[in-house]
Amino acid sequence: MEAIGARQRTRRFDSTGPGGELIRAVRPAAAAALSAAVLLAAPALAHETLHELDRARAIAVRAFESDGEPLGDAAWEVYSPADPRAPWQRGRTDRNGWLSFVPDAPGRWRVRVIEPAGHGLDLFVEAGAAAPESAAGAPPSGAAFVLRPLAGLAAIGLLFAVIFLVQRRRRPSP
Amino acid sequence: MHVPDGFLSPQLSVPAYAVAAPLWAWAVRRHFGRGAAESLPVMGSLTALAFVIQTLMIPVPGGTSTHLVGVVVLALLFGPLVAFVCEALVLLVQALFFGAGGITVLGVNALAMGLVGPLAGWLVWRLARPFSEKAALFLAGWVATQAAALLLAGALALQHRLDPAYFPVPIAVNLTAMMVPSLTVAGVVEGLYTVFVLSLLRKANPRGVAA
Repeated sequence: MEAIGARQRTRRFDSTGPGGELIRAVRPAAAAALSAAVLLAAPALAHETLHELDRARAIAVRAFESDGEPLGDAAWEVYSPADPRAPWQRGRTDRNGWLSFVPDAPGRWRVRVIEPAGHGLDLFVEAGAAAPESAAGAPPSGAAFVLRPLAGLAAIGLLFAVIFLVQRRRRPSP
Repeated sequence: MHVPDGFLSPQLSVPAYAVAAPLWAWAVRRHFGRGAAESLPVMGSLTALAFVIQTLMIPVPGGTSTHLVGVVVLALLFGPLVAFVCEALVLLVQALFFGAGGITVLGVNALAMGLVGPLAGWLVWRLARPFSEKAALFLAGWVATQAAALLLAGALALQHRLDPAYFPVPIAVNLTAMMVPSLTVAGVVEGLYTVFVLSLLRKANPRGVAA
């Protein structure tokens, strides 16, 4: 039954069979309608979202506390060198304290991370060909985590030791 | 707790320096002169300890964190002006070595955490010590933390009113974010730290510390 039906359908659209004149007359109109549909559909392609992947364009900044704890979910603002008054972009840091943005001009971009409790960052990041790959202020890890407080301790200890020695020398002997 | 560079405008940071600078000069002349040699080792050790504990963050429920200040013990042992100078030194080292806090806001931070906080703690300790020494020490630590946090929150709130571009967080949000951890966690831990350190020092009875 299926084969017979297929044959009948084939015959119905065969231009050499009965009704062929009608098909021949309609064909240019159908082609014109199809072309019009394709041409009219072309602008609709603008609704499709395409993407471009570039792994080297964004600048990423990580905000963390002095003990290495990340500043997660903190509000941030980025200011373009072209307009230092109005924020160019705003957002919130991820759970690891990272924020990222894609600068559209070279120069010094200002990055601010603002916690409601008054903690945060306010720094300038160089963007452009001359910008260094990695800026100072990497998260403390391993030896650096211990060495930085030790350097501060040494500075405080040294200052007090100097004052102590000076004052002991100046103190009148009993 | 301390405010970083860029969060306060010169309208606030310059007057803060104008108030702090003469007080630093007076405090150094008065407390770090010839007679201070015996006290300097303990002062230096407590300043170094304050520096360390200010880098350690205490997690607070709700996702934020806070830290101790640790200089109220200096105020109780040697006077509030000693705490002011030592806290300024801690803040200076933090700014220079870690980029934490900052130089422009050092006056505001030092006035809050080094002077107003320890001074409030010292006054409470003087009032409460006839009743219970340990309770007075705890209260001194707790009150010092609240006074410092309140002054910093006030400075940020004033900045928000003057120019929100420097500090865009609304006053209510800032006040809540600063005072809730301070009242519930930082103040309590600071109080316990003050009791512990002072009790330990009195037992050890080092030279230069009044019994």
